[in-house]
Amino acid sequence: MSEIKIGSIIIKPTKLICLGRNYLEHIKETDASVPKEPVFFVKTVNTIITGEDPIIYPRILYENENYNRVDHEVELSLIISKSCKNISADKAMEFIQGYTIFLDITARNMQISDRNIKLPWYRSKNFDTFSVLGPKIVPFNEIEDPHNLNIELKLNGEVKQSSNTKYMIFKIPQILEYLSKFVTLVPGDIVATGTPSGVGPIQPGDIIEASIEKIGTIRHKVILEEET
Amino acid sequence: MIRIGDLSLNPTKIICLGTNYMDHVEETGLEIPKEPLIFPKTLNCLIINNQPIIYPKLLFNNRKFNRVDYEVELAFIIKDKCKNVTFNNVYEHILGYTVFNDITARKMQAKDIISQKPWFRSKSFDTFGPIGPVVKLVDEINDPHNLNIELKLNGKTKQSSNTKHLLFKIPKIVEYISSFFTLEPGDIIATGTPGGIGPIQPGDLIEATIEKIGTLSNKVILEDD
Repeated sequence: MSEIKIGSIIIKPTKLICLGRNYLEHIKETDASVPKEPVFFVKTVNTIITGEDPIIYPRILYENENYNRVDHEVELSLIISKSCKNISADKAMEFIQGYTIFLDITARNMQISDRNIKLPWYRSKNFDTFSVLGPKIVPFNEIEDPHNLNIELKLNGEVKQSSNTKYMIFKIPQILEYLSKFVTLVPGDIVATGTPSGVGPIQPGDIIEASIEKIGTIRHKVILEEET
Repeated sequence: MIRIGDLSLNPTKIICLGTNYMDHVEETGLEIPKEPLIFPKTLNCLIINNQPIIYPKLLFNNRKFNRVDYEVELAFIIKDKCKNVTFNNVYEHILGYTVFNDITARKMQAKDIISQKPWFRSKSFDTFGPIGPVVKLVDEINDPHNLNIELKLNGKTKQSSNTKHLLFKIPKIVEYISSFFTLEPGDIIATGTPGGIGPIQPGDLIEATIEKIGTLSNKVILEDD
């Protein structure tokens, strides 16, 4: 089990589950269909970085013209406080420890090519350093309404994503009700709620700043993987 | 943490191969992969020998989703933290081998594949990853690519093959996966299932056997209300 320190809190996530297609504007930009129920995918814990850690752009992508597009996606995420299964939407908020910012870094061209030949969305999402968390976990009772927070991402100082969590199609109670029908969630597990529109490519040397109102800002540099 | 035989493991991930035996590729109608097809299962799915596989009511009571399949597979356990492992050094990073049963909500998976969704919900229900009965250390098995592999459902043989028929062998699998991701001690990699997959029902007994490793037995029960 991996330990991860976010701000002053140590968590031990066993899984990181993300929503795709949860903001209408983002669905339009990716040519996907509007989901009738939440679409989930998994990121493994090797992807997680925090603090000042850089995002490493893998050479296997950078040096391949079919795959050399890697995107930023800013998201609101939540941390599970206690073990739960089959929880109802009206009880869901009792199982949340707090909220943090999440960057779902995605090898976009690889994801599209895998999706088109009906392969799992897996490799494109799970490179080391492709999940950024921080700057801290804000306890759940300090944020009265997680569905009314401005969410923004700047690339080299320029605003690329700007929305509000009120535009999420599936809200947190529904997300946890649905997800916990399938899997037992345990303390430290991370659930990310999807990205708004404005996703776009990153390059080595870029600085990404992601902010969510009442949580804070994370700032990470993108570097090219060293040669092995 | 999970205890397999007398060994305790702390896996951080489970990575499975799809379509890695030719006869299984044919029965699923999927394409022959040019490189290993990989997907994750989350850790909540793990159970050990003699623990029950729980058939979720959510699937059982829904005609669109009420097919759940067994899939016997050879799995191996990672020994140490590694990335970008080269073909020739792969076995230095393997602790040992065990039997894995990749329980799959088949109709749900087929529906998700058609709509180009991730393979997540169909693969990661609680108890959908039986593993065991023991981990055989890497030096106890001379050739992991020459082991009979078999699954019996209620005593009747349903899958019967040999690991020599794996399309991608273990060195290629580890080289490929570690070119993407860091592997950690205890991580579990399952190498894919041979042909003969089929449905299970509450009350069934599944016995999955691999030569030189042993038999993994799990009963299927319906989820409580």
